[in-house]
Amino acid sequence: MRALWIVLRKELLDAFRDRRMLLVAFVVIPLAIPLVLAGTNALSARKQTRQLEGPLQLPVIGAERAPNLVAWLQSHNVQVLPAPRDADAAVRTQECDVVLRIDEQYGEDWRAGRPASVEVIFDSSRPLASGATVSRLGGLLDGYGSTVGTLRLVARGIHPAVANPLQVGTRDVATPEARFDLSQQILPYLLLLLAFIGGMQLAIDATAGERERQSLEPLLATPVSRESIIGAKILATAVFSLLSIAVTLIAYRLVFAIVPSRGMDASFDLGPAGLVQLFLIILPIVLLGATVLTALAAFARSYREAQAYLPLLMFLPMIPSLVLMVAPVRTQLWMLAVPFLSQNQMILRVLRSEEIRALDWVVSLGASFAVVAVVWFIAARLYHREQLATSS
Amino acid sequence: MIRVEGLRKGFRTRTGRIQAVDGVSFAAADGQITGLLGPNGAGKTTILRMLYTLMSPDAGRVLVDGLDAAIEPTRVREHLGVLPDARGIYKRLTARENIAYFGALQGLDARLIAERTERLVSALDMRDFIDRRAEGFSQGQRTKTAIARALVHAPRNVLLDEPTNGLDVMTTRSLRAFLLEQRAEGRCVLLSSHIMQEVALLCDRIVVIAHGRIVADGTSGELREATGCANLEDAFVKAIGSDEGLFA
Repeated sequence: MRALWIVLRKELLDAFRDRRMLLVAFVVIPLAIPLVLAGTNALSARKQTRQLEGPLQLPVIGAERAPNLVAWLQSHNVQVLPAPRDADAAVRTQECDVVLRIDEQYGEDWRAGRPASVEVIFDSSRPLASGATVSRLGGLLDGYGSTVGTLRLVARGIHPAVANPLQVGTRDVATPEARFDLSQQILPYLLLLLAFIGGMQLAIDATAGERERQSLEPLLATPVSRESIIGAKILATAVFSLLSIAVTLIAYRLVFAIVPSRGMDASFDLGPAGLVQLFLIILPIVLLGATVLTALAAFARSYREAQAYLPLLMFLPMIPSLVLMVAPVRTQLWMLAVPFLSQNQMILRVLRSEEIRALDWVVSLGASFAVVAVVWFIAARLYHREQLATSS
Repeated sequence: MIRVEGLRKGFRTRTGRIQAVDGVSFAAADGQITGLLGPNGAGKTTILRMLYTLMSPDAGRVLVDGLDAAIEPTRVREHLGVLPDARGIYKRLTARENIAYFGALQGLDARLIAERTERLVSALDMRDFIDRRAEGFSQGQRTKTAIARALVHAPRNVLLDEPTNGLDVMTTRSLRAFLLEQRAEGRCVLLSSHIMQEVALLCDRIVVIAHGRIVADGTSGELREATGCANLEDAFVKAIGSDEGLFA
């Protein structure tokens, strides 16, 4: 234990004298993550506001055929524009979000009391870009249609309720925090990624780097056991990335105190308790990352070989997010036993201010720490290989 | 006191099996400097690596102060001070911190480390760079730091793999004086080298190794006598060049 502490202290001292490593861990990452999140958040908020509340830019084909409809739209904050020559192409190339075409028969049908056709031209493969605009236009057209319909019924002496046998109401049960936006979907992944491979530089430097700089062999010639050496290296990596994450979470809170997420209900305002919970949730992932990276660096023959495995590792924390994106499922207890999936779910619960039961904590932390123990054991075995110090 | 008995070690390579050490037995006594002399690739480094338990032998025994390396590797390493072939030091640490790190790993307390460091600094003439970070050290400064950290726990047995490799004349001379001091203190010094003159100057006993086998073992006088050559260089060439091995 004493040897472990000595090696751990030395590895941290070594790391804290590496300016480049410090810069990345304590300046670049803590600034980049909140700024990227705040940026996407502000951007999507601005876009939503513009799409929902700003004047709706609407090219209309045949506006002269329906002057009343056009006037009504204009009175509802729609800016009617001349139509492009080829409406389909204009929508497809994203020149316009949506185009309204008024049928040539419109006037005739309208006067005859037949349903008059209008056509909304949009591209459904771009729901993020134009979805809000399209549904806003749909709502306006429905509104116009039902207003005129009601008036026609009244004109014929029929109660308008006759045409509405069903009244549909909706009630949204989401908590304000749960109505989260895009950047909040990115946050769990970013946090997990940072937790998992945030210590990569230290881990590779301390193992593959130590061997490449030829200082591993003298170290192994001391009486210190290899278990202590690798344990210290894993812990040094974990401590370093935990510090980096702590700084990042604090920076995150500060950035969102200055740049509030405007225009949306989403609350990024995690209190200190929330931050502590996040920290606790990703603790096993930090240890898992440190252990995997150290094992990898012990297995790899060189610094460069160790780095070559990194893209693979970056993919790992992404898998649960991808799975949940494609096939959203209800959280079940077994999921909390799967590393990454578990942390993903737990982080979302914290962000959505949902309750986390004691059992959830036990399963999430217990299962993930068990995986850490297994990988740790493998890493220690790898460190006993004879080639470890000699092949270089 | 180091004893090696019937040591064997082979490696698998792509082209087949290589017997790097093939039945080596010798002893290095306390208060003596013993030299392992042999051309590059003779198996010197592999022998030393088995001595400091980095590798385990396929057959044979290593005894350090009577401790069997296969049974008590940790205690064996406590009894050894090792300058391996790989002698990298930590660049972001000062020479003093490099030495203190190994002192702590050997279980010394801070006061003792400071005291020993002071003695090594004057013995190895490290005064002008002891508190500088090792980044940019010359080869000689690096080697001195590596030797100092290897010997900070004042081990009874000192193993040095090609200690004068890459050193200039002045540094080599001061290193030689340092090793003679170690001998005078009654330590068992075992060094490997491919430079015959160096071994002749320094060593009380010379163990000549070629192709993983001992081909000669004795004082430089005995070697010359046995080979019938007037100078040691001829004796060395004759010893390693012979097919059967003169003394095997």
